[in-house]
Amino acid sequence: MTRMEEPTLAVSTGKEAKAARDAIKPTQEDDSSFTKFSKITATSPDPEDGLFLNPENGCTWCARRLKQQSGADAPLTGNEPFSNLPLNSLPEENVGRAHYKLCDRLKLEKKQRRMCRRDPGVAETLREAITMSAQECHYQFRFERWNCPLEGRHRANILKRGFKETAFLYAISSAGLTHAMAKACSAGRMERCTCDEAPDLENRKAWQWGGCGDNIKYANKFVRDFLGKRSNKDLRARVDMHNTNVGIKITKGNITCKCHGVSGSCTVRTCWRQLLPFHEIGANLKLLYENTSKPPPPPLPGPNDQIPRTMTLLHIEDSPSFCRPSKYSSGTAARTCYKDNNCDAICCGRGHNTESREVTRPCQCQVRWCCYVECKQCTQREEVYTCKG
Amino acid sequence: MNLGLGCVCRPGSWPYGSLLDSRHCVFALTLLTLLMQVVVEANSWWSLAMNPLLIPEAYIIGAQPLCSQLVGLSQGQKKLCQLYQDHMQYIGEGAKTGIRECQYQFRQRRWNCSTVDNSSVFGRVMQIGSRETAFTYAISAAGVVNAVSRACREGELSSCGCSRAARPKDLPRDWLWGGCGDNLNYGYRFSKEFVDAREREKSFPKGSYESARLMMNIHNNEAGRRTVSDLANVSCKCHGVSGSCSLKTCWLQLADFRKVGEALKEKYDSAAAMKLNTRGKLVQMHSKFNAPTSHDLVYIESSPDYCLKNQSTGSLGTVGRLCNKTSEGMDGCELMCCGRGYDQYKAQIVERCHCKFHWCCYVKCKRCTKIVDQFVCK
Repeated sequence: MTRMEEPTLAVSTGKEAKAARDAIKPTQEDDSSFTKFSKITATSPDPEDGLFLNPENGCTWCARRLKQQSGADAPLTGNEPFSNLPLNSLPEENVGRAHYKLCDRLKLEKKQRRMCRRDPGVAETLREAITMSAQECHYQFRFERWNCPLEGRHRANILKRGFKETAFLYAISSAGLTHAMAKACSAGRMERCTCDEAPDLENRKAWQWGGCGDNIKYANKFVRDFLGKRSNKDLRARVDMHNTNVGIKITKGNITCKCHGVSGSCTVRTCWRQLLPFHEIGANLKLLYENTSKPPPPPLPGPNDQIPRTMTLLHIEDSPSFCRPSKYSSGTAARTCYKDNNCDAICCGRGHNTESREVTRPCQCQVRWCCYVECKQCTQREEVYTCKG
Repeated sequence: MNLGLGCVCRPGSWPYGSLLDSRHCVFALTLLTLLMQVVVEANSWWSLAMNPLLIPEAYIIGAQPLCSQLVGLSQGQKKLCQLYQDHMQYIGEGAKTGIRECQYQFRQRRWNCSTVDNSSVFGRVMQIGSRETAFTYAISAAGVVNAVSRACREGELSSCGCSRAARPKDLPRDWLWGGCGDNLNYGYRFSKEFVDAREREKSFPKGSYESARLMMNIHNNEAGRRTVSDLANVSCKCHGVSGSCSLKTCWLQLADFRKVGEALKEKYDSAAAMKLNTRGKLVQMHSKFNAPTSHDLVYIESSPDYCLKNQSTGSLGTVGRLCNKTSEGMDGCELMCCGRGYDQYKAQIVERCHCKFHWCCYVKCKRCTKIVDQFVCK
């Protein structure tokens, strides 16, 4: 209440003070004057003021504002979502709109942008999903001729065709989005979903559902809505949709339990559903990529769904060999290869150059009490092989 | 070579009038033959492999004319032929082994080490100082070492016998060192004398292409010989009581030539690109890469395009080559046919099957025919 008292304190004794006091015209009821005064100053609070954070301080204005926000006349119950209480000094409007900018920066369609704006956590999750998918793609294809180049025109060109690589890209981006969304739900970054609810497994009396499982159900639903419905257009669109669905379905989770009974026994267990780590999902998709098949030729061209609902990736055309620089990749010249396994595969018969480099790595690491690890630096000569061409 | 190919001695075909026609023709023809001489002479001691095996006795009787009849030998090589007549057969065998191994190692690639004719053997491809040329030189030198060393061991040659190599230091003490090992030392020295003879008797001005080619050839021959020498190892036989290994005799034996071929193929993959520096020596094109040792192959020009047939480079192209539809490597239809596509045929293959051993002692097989899909490049 210090800020509000300042105007009164600033008025000193003397003629001006008297005039000020006369202006207020205190009536006989001293109590009512205080309340009147507090009402006057309370109608226009300074937004920078952190005072209206805590409604229990007797800030009537705050309680009224909160009522407006939550749309109900009930007192605070403790279940209100956090975003209505501004926890930082940004004004209300700025916090609400910050994720709009992020949503606009991503190139989304109208419906996707609407879904993005609805929930402030979506934009961040989208960005995280994109980074995660790109990293995983690079990791899985690091030994192949096409090593997942995703910059600029290479990505645009390869998405225009129906290669095996395009199928993999569709699958891994949808898998990445599902994974990131489920994790975001359980981490509390999203407004519209929280932990996994309603276990639907067998009930063993000693098990308890607890912890905070990844909300796979919500994530599946969200990604299906986000990435579009099945369209009955040409074969390519249907194949893309199928591959996207494969990516969604392959993000499965399994039940993880923690035993915490008497002396760590498993008489009492807490279980929750957890997603597989994204590396495993990536590895599974890579196996599917190696066994992709072409869709069976439809006997009747038309809206009939001729694509089998199996967990295989489908492609329409055969991929080129990515040996020479083309519009799909920059070729395999100067790619690093590993002599034992893949130099002859990657370098397309052009041979490789050998370079000796000194590499410094930490070695002979020891744990020191308490609690850090101390390593020495060892230098080694290592041979690096790069493709000719 | 266009001028040679385009010259037809027809009166009126030249714009300068009929008197000069014949002179132009003659000039062109002599130039052509001179160039062809240089071209053909470049590397055709390999022709010894292509000629049918002459019986060794023929060399002893009336030897001299036979040596001068052999096409493709240089002066020094002819002299060596006259001095060591009985070695010639084995040189031919060595070259043949080398060529066969080369064709095996390159069977899945666009250039498959195919022989073109009997005199220059591989054609004009060998005039380009590419990696394939390097490999061919190395493996033929290695073949000669192999053949001559084996021949020494078998007592076919009068000037050498079993290996007199010293006992290796790491052999356990109770093993005997003896037997009759392949005379690697002699084979190495003879191959060096014979194969390098052509290169050593010529000299070209410093900094010219020919001098670079000379140095490259000598280096690659040496690399081939050293590979054989490195892969030779100790082989032992147990002959103790009832075949136990209480008594063991060991000797030096050359490795199976397939292993030599594989080792040289690896060197081919990692061959080093070289260029001439101002002082006329071969140095690496990019100095950041590892310098080639005497066991590595070097090359001075990049390979020509083996996809299309080209008379001037000598490439035969890949039209009509078989390719493997399911492979992702160089023998896959995509890379072998260079994007031109392929045709699919059904071929009938006859092979032996249901083989049975009859007592005593022969194997009788039936012939089965089966129909397989074959893919041929367009």
